[in-house]
Amino acid sequence: MGDKSTPLLAVLQLLRKYNLKDTEEILRKEASLGNVEYENLDLPEVEIASILTAHHTESDPYSYEVAYDSLRKFVENSLDIYKHELSTLLYPVFVHMYLLLILYDHNEHAAVFLEKFAPEQENYYQEDLKKLAIVKHKDQIKGNEIAEIYSTNKFIVQMSRDASSQLKRYLHEQKNSTVIINIINNHIQIDVHDGPGRTLAQVRATAGGLLGEATKNENRIKVYYGLLKEPDIQVLPAPVEDEEEVEETPDKPKKKKAKKDNIFMKKPKSDPNAPPNDRIPFPELKEADKLEKGKALREAAKRVSLGPDTLPSICFYTLLNSGHTAISADICDDSTLLAVGFNNSTIKVWTLTPVRLRGMKSADKLQDIDREAGDVLVRMMEEKDRDTCRTLFGHSGPVYKVCFDPFKTFLLSCSEDSTVRLWSLQCWTCLVVYRGHVWPVWDVRWSPHGHYFVSSGHDRTARLWATDHHQPLRIFAGHLSDVDCVQFHPNSNYVATGSSDRTVRLWDCSTGAQVRLMTGHKSTIFTVAFSMCGRWLASGGASGELMVWDLSVGAVAATLPPSHTAPIHALAFSRDGTVLCSGSLDCNIKLWDFTAITDEATGEEPGSNNGPKEDKYLLRSFPTKNSPIKCLHFTRRNLLLAVGTYEGSS
Amino acid sequence: MSDSEFAYGSSLSLDSMKVIAESVGIANLGDDAAKELADDVSYRLKVIVQDAMKFMHHSKRQKLSITDIDHALNMKNIEAQYGFIQSDSLPFRFASGGGRELHFVEEKEIDLSEILSAPPPKVPLGVSVRAHWLSVDGVQPTVPENPPPLCKEAQKLESVDPISKLSKPSNEDAAGKPMCGKAARLKASESVHVKQLATHELSVEQQLYYKEITETCVGSDEIRRVEALQSLACDPGLHEMLPRMCTFISEGVKVNVVQNNLALLIYLMRMVKALLDNQSLYLEKYLHELIPAVSTCIVSRQLCLRPEMDNHWALRDFAARLMAQICKTFNTSTNNLQTRVTRLFAKALQCPSQTNNESGVGPSMASMKESEKTPLASLYGAVQGLAELGSEVIKVFILPRVRWLGERVEGALSGIGGADRLAAGNLKQQLLKVLAPVVRQLRQPPDLPDEYKRDYGYLGPSLQQMVSKLRSSPSGSGGSGTAVAVVTCTPPLVPASAPPVSSMHVSKPETVATRNVVIASPAPHSPAPATPPPQKFVIVASQQKPPQAQPSSGTGHIVVHSSQPAIVRSQNVQSVVVTSGPNAGAAPQKVVVVGMPPQTPASQPGAVSQAPVSVVAKPVFARGTPQPPHQPPPELDDLSHLA
Repeated sequence: MGDKSTPLLAVLQLLRKYNLKDTEEILRKEASLGNVEYENLDLPEVEIASILTAHHTESDPYSYEVAYDSLRKFVENSLDIYKHELSTLLYPVFVHMYLLLILYDHNEHAAVFLEKFAPEQENYYQEDLKKLAIVKHKDQIKGNEIAEIYSTNKFIVQMSRDASSQLKRYLHEQKNSTVIINIINNHIQIDVHDGPGRTLAQVRATAGGLLGEATKNENRIKVYYGLLKEPDIQVLPAPVEDEEEVEETPDKPKKKKAKKDNIFMKKPKSDPNAPPNDRIPFPELKEADKLEKGKALREAAKRVSLGPDTLPSICFYTLLNSGHTAISADICDDSTLLAVGFNNSTIKVWTLTPVRLRGMKSADKLQDIDREAGDVLVRMMEEKDRDTCRTLFGHSGPVYKVCFDPFKTFLLSCSEDSTVRLWSLQCWTCLVVYRGHVWPVWDVRWSPHGHYFVSSGHDRTARLWATDHHQPLRIFAGHLSDVDCVQFHPNSNYVATGSSDRTVRLWDCSTGAQVRLMTGHKSTIFTVAFSMCGRWLASGGASGELMVWDLSVGAVAATLPPSHTAPIHALAFSRDGTVLCSGSLDCNIKLWDFTAITDEATGEEPGSNNGPKEDKYLLRSFPTKNSPIKCLHFTRRNLLLAVGTYEGSS
Repeated sequence: MSDSEFAYGSSLSLDSMKVIAESVGIANLGDDAAKELADDVSYRLKVIVQDAMKFMHHSKRQKLSITDIDHALNMKNIEAQYGFIQSDSLPFRFASGGGRELHFVEEKEIDLSEILSAPPPKVPLGVSVRAHWLSVDGVQPTVPENPPPLCKEAQKLESVDPISKLSKPSNEDAAGKPMCGKAARLKASESVHVKQLATHELSVEQQLYYKEITETCVGSDEIRRVEALQSLACDPGLHEMLPRMCTFISEGVKVNVVQNNLALLIYLMRMVKALLDNQSLYLEKYLHELIPAVSTCIVSRQLCLRPEMDNHWALRDFAARLMAQICKTFNTSTNNLQTRVTRLFAKALQCPSQTNNESGVGPSMASMKESEKTPLASLYGAVQGLAELGSEVIKVFILPRVRWLGERVEGALSGIGGADRLAAGNLKQQLLKVLAPVVRQLRQPPDLPDEYKRDYGYLGPSLQQMVSKLRSSPSGSGGSGTAVAVVTCTPPLVPASAPPVSSMHVSKPETVATRNVVIASPAPHSPAPATPPPQKFVIVASQQKPPQAQPSSGTGHIVVHSSQPAIVRSQNVQSVVVTSGPNAGAAPQKVVVVGMPPQTPASQPGAVSQAPVSVVAKPVFARGTPQPPHQPPPELDDLSHLA
């Protein structure tokens, strides 16, 4: 049957779809298609359309090369102002030509086509092309991750109005070959924008996503990136502030706090970009949490202000004898505890201060305690000092992320066993197992206000959870590939995700909708971090690239000069938001002047700042002794803590 | 990523499919079937590896491991492949033959009973956390936990190719260095880029450290000195102070030799030793200061105030060991360090008759006078210095002069003057100690005192006693005994200079075993043990038959063995291949060809049978016929083999 079978199958599927049984029978008989082929009738909708529109010309394998070559010539010969935008068209056309060739069983031609034109595609697409090159047979398209993504989604290309009319004229001239027209019609969405054509730098700044760029419309929604008004805990001795809080909080539980009543007590300036405090409901702060917050504020008063001239001190915690077993690490907000997740499914928690880790007393002993006593929190703990390190057992796969809650009472962990676990740091046991993800969970993060957390994994979703629900509250679906990292916005209203599809997305927690889609990364994104002010988002990728995004407009604010040579797995902002710190597997910690970056970005048109001055962003780089960096953390006083594993002297 | 040379569609070969099919019992796999299988299997393998890479990335590694593959299989609902735990990478071995090439994984059979009877493996160490300052206010302190500011490789590169530093961007330089206040501002104004190279400023801390260390090293408090030396030997980031340290040592030696201050000289030598032992330093740039200082401590005529009382011999021994260590570490083909050092010592041992022969009349007179006057202490140092360089050197440079040295010793012992007599005694002891193992190698028993007397002069009888004592001692049997003798030459005090002897012993004999190999056993009275230690052989071929009647088989090649460095020398041999001695374990190997006119009747030792086909240049050691004692030592310029 050869070439014919694919269009025939498509017709057959179409007949089935419209329930034309008799015609189907006749066709089946005439084409002598047995029942064996019957199961293969699951071509994607788009494919059927493209097959039916053009099968007679497209079955000629030689026309593809000619058509691609002519398109390439057209792009090369077009005016400079259109050239760069038009050139973004080449890659999707190339990919779909390859897939069509495979679909029509021209496997050898497909291989030759790939061999001939793949090397001239952009560098950042080569990784995808390698994956695509694996597909060498029609049957392999189905079930292959990347081929399915391409055949079921439209590739988005942004173009100025003039460029697109140029393209239209060109396509009009190509009457004898409908291949390109069909591909553009079926697989490519051209997003036309008014204004002049973009320059090479502008095009490059946003190119690189698995499915091209984001459309303009996707980033229109307003994002409340401002910070929430914090419950006003005065920088006063602890008892005073406690009384004040007690007065303030006995309104309705579970509902937002009555902030409006005592607004006069706060700073008069309120951020116009901040969401209303009740946009996301928070549980009432507990007594102990308030203590913790007060402590944090007092500490913050002693903060060192950082800048290019006053660089932070770095205290490096080396995990010895860990080899490749230690995967993830986190330091709690007040920098007293260090948790490390291992690939043998265990989690270890170390204390970083002379205070030892204590457990809670047993139940019958707890009953004896007078609950009204002022020091009940101290009394319920074991009196004897315990270990400096405790181990938590429960997972059945490598622990990819551990995360302390803001109040130092819980620990979250996620693992290859597709569960998220909540651990108590008082009982040192597992409290809840959150099941929901179906594949390994790559990342989990607490909301800065506690109670909520978000997880992401191989199932291409991120999920929002509350600790008191065993099911996710929201499922953020839309990424085309693994969601490799998540992060809560400082105001807890948004969640940012980074993915293997090389996009960064921002999701609204209250509606569950995607509010920002940002392209421009050229490799898988392994870590994202919000700036302290909430407006900027930094993301680090597999090839060591580091980008800063402006959430207010949803565009690239800066692409930091390539400096790391290995994947970046840790990012941290100093507490005053002036220094960005990145840690990578190439055993380097680099400090970036974030004030300069944002100044540049706000001063200029976003996306066009690839000036030569960028090397001034990098403040300093600190190599470690063969210890890849797993975690970075700024203490409340702006001391940088880093965690790495020593991998031998070789 | 940017590699455009990447092959987009690689696939397993049909042959592999067939081989695998055979291994599971399918004899005749058709080509079509094999192709289908190959395509499908490559597709699936690649998909699995792709997925496994995700796990690798999320485990924050850059090396794919077997567990990643297991997890990827898990994700596809395929049962993981159990039993393939491998902590290290598993290298593919390669074999070819009969036009077929094969890559395979070496799998060794493991004897379970051995495992059961073996002591249980050590429990792996638990993970622990250790904190240190990576940076203090933006400055990286040079503590052992941090990487050295300038790695040894960079130091080495710099000493070899100083220009490279100029082309380096200044940013790189500032990476780990303190750049605060003034320096930062200067840098910002871009005015110091060139100047930076010339300035050699030490920070206040470094100046304090330098002061403290130098004072302590030559001070009176032994405990503190040990600490200071420890610091010199271990601390990274000393390279900035290195020029000053070396000058300190060099100047210190100059002054204290004049003042005959033995103690201070010893302290300074210990500093040299500490610097040599520091793993993060590369001293080559400073050898011009260190070598004169060290050699002064070896051969200087007087090192202490009372030569008859003080033990300056220990200093000479120690310094000689240091010199050997320096030679071993820094010898390259361009600096010819070892050759030059050897020449230096050999000059001190030049005996008058020889100098007469070698050079013209005028200089010879002077040099004769010189060498006649060479104090015994210097001779001792020279002997010691040469001895440390290995037995090959001993054989070439000390042995031929033993007669003359004996005369000097004899003269001094019979003469008056306590110091001289003591020196002569020490020299004699030292000579005997050094020469005995070599002579034992060279000569065949029986050891007749008369022969020794004839060959070696005054020292002959004592040497004979020493040699026969060595032969009778248990360790002195067979070829391995000589290896031990070599080891003892390397000072036990120098842990860094681990002799490469062990590596020689593990070398595989089978590489040569396919050839016609004949082992010349040097000690017939002590037959080779049933299971001799693995040894290396050098096979040397010659092209012509010698005119002399050979006792055994009569070809002119020499079959040589033993782990002792030596020069192969034979009358009949046209070309001899000798490889480096044990003291050149790390150094590039050299091949020396020595051509000798057939003049003296040779007594070919051992059994030599067929003409071997090839010459194997391996790190092995050759030994030829016992040297006729009257043969003049080789020219100094032949020394390239010592390099």
